[in-house]
Amino acid sequence: MKLPEWFKKKDGECQSGRGIKPHGFIERNLARFASIIKEVFTTEEYASRGGLLQRLDGRAKLTGFFLLLAAGAMTGSALFLFGVLVVIAVLASVSRVGIAPVAKRVFPSLVFTFFLVLPVTVNAVTPGKELFGYNGFAVTREGLLTGGFFLLRVVVMLSLTALLALTTRQSDFFKGLGRLIPAFFVTALFFTFRYAVILIKTAEDATMARKSRSIGRAGVTESQSWFASRAALILKRSFSMADEVNMAMISRGFAGKVRTPPAGALGARDYLWIGFSSFVLFLSIGT
Amino acid sequence: MEEIYRVEAVSFEYGGGPALRELSFSVDKGECLAILGANGSGKSTLLKLLNGLLFPTSGMISFTGKPLGEEALKGEFLRCFRERVGFVFPEPDVQLFCPTVSDELAFGPLQLGLRYEEAEKRAGELLKMLGLEALKARTPYSLSGGEKKKVAIASVLAINPEVLLLDEPTNGLDPRTQVWLLELLRELKKLKKTIIIATHDLSLAEDLSDRAIILDESHRLAADSTTAKALRDKELLLSANIIHEHSHRHGELTHRHSHGPYSTHDEHD
Repeated sequence: MKLPEWFKKKDGECQSGRGIKPHGFIERNLARFASIIKEVFTTEEYASRGGLLQRLDGRAKLTGFFLLLAAGAMTGSALFLFGVLVVIAVLASVSRVGIAPVAKRVFPSLVFTFFLVLPVTVNAVTPGKELFGYNGFAVTREGLLTGGFFLLRVVVMLSLTALLALTTRQSDFFKGLGRLIPAFFVTALFFTFRYAVILIKTAEDATMARKSRSIGRAGVTESQSWFASRAALILKRSFSMADEVNMAMISRGFAGKVRTPPAGALGARDYLWIGFSSFVLFLSIGT
Repeated sequence: MEEIYRVEAVSFEYGGGPALRELSFSVDKGECLAILGANGSGKSTLLKLLNGLLFPTSGMISFTGKPLGEEALKGEFLRCFRERVGFVFPEPDVQLFCPTVSDELAFGPLQLGLRYEEAEKRAGELLKMLGLEALKARTPYSLSGGEKKKVAIASVLAINPEVLLLDEPTNGLDPRTQVWLLELLRELKKLKKTIIIATHDLSLAEDLSDRAIILDESHRLAADSTTAKALRDKELLLSANIIHEHSHRHGELTHRHSHGPYSTHDEHD
């Protein structure tokens, strides 16, 4: 093999870089998205602790949380929502999770919701007793109460979801869900998440490969063209992977209907949990 | 010797062109056959045809004397065929789709109609035999590459197939896992399982298989002989792009010889 002459040229010394942003918009967001997906679906640190919620059967736990979510959605009382928050804090504590990990997962969405409800607080949207204002725009008491109540409801719903996610292994979640809704939907949902992780890794690798061969920042048109080509590649790869997965399933005897292990019986603890959640839902009616 | 597969003048085409042309050979029960060929020669396609996942464009494949066509592969014959033939895919990620390793091992037996207790027992015994007990409750995607491969193989063994089709089984495996795999396949060979391996790992073929068929780059059968004889035929291996010639140095001495993609190489010139 004969190498071309330009290949033999010696490299000069590298100067230290100045003023170049290390990460582009796509790369930054992809990395963030990948990290969230990995964190949600691969972290089982809290789910493997032997707390109260972790010991519940998947079906019972999901049913209970659905009932609590329904209670949070139905109530019109802020006091009731504060009560549910206290219940969440107690459950987090007896499940050896603590409040901090729940708050950490709730906070980003809460900030987003806060900006979303800001317009509700002004008199142009919610007329009422003006508390303070400027140039015709004022924050009203009714607006603050409406926005505050909405935020409180969001905190409760997000906290319940976060607590469920933190205390449930992914496998138990899908198994539990499979007993409550048709297995076909759960299988499709599981596959979506399972292969999303792999395809996101492909997208990350493509971004890394580009970065390793790039200097400076690409123009908008070039970036768009690159992004479109990678999106097409990932779409093509996802089709090919779906085909292979289907073949792998058929090869092991799958004939259109997934046969799953039979469900075991629920224990006294599971019934108590469902009973407690039903009671909370009952209390929410009319409040 | 009982004939397991008969492949008669089989050709297969994907949209873009031929993948296999006019292949004819047979495989006997208990035989260990290596399918050798360069990348893109059609090895994987051939295994998928033997597993009834794809069907020939022309020609015919029969399994224990029964045609393995799209029409025939139904009902009781389909169940019996899936029970008797296991396929290990080259990419373990496509094969591991259950929530836990334990579920993964029970999947095949459950689909084939075994009771859950029996499927669970098989899974437990396999995990113990293969030293994978610690992975039982893990999610497959959280495993390392070698662990995924082990679980993928275990998930197929859980069906207790009589015929084992393996597509590039040593790809991406570290040396320790390669040795583990080789020892496992040797044990399965002793049990008179029929093993068909598509690979370009000549050392694996040499260590394990009794017979080798070679696919050339025009997707035809270039040779069908004992593995020892096939691997001695340097011209054949070079023409099929399974080995290449290169030169390298040992101290002051530079010499040229042929090399397979992994460890097999012939005597120095």
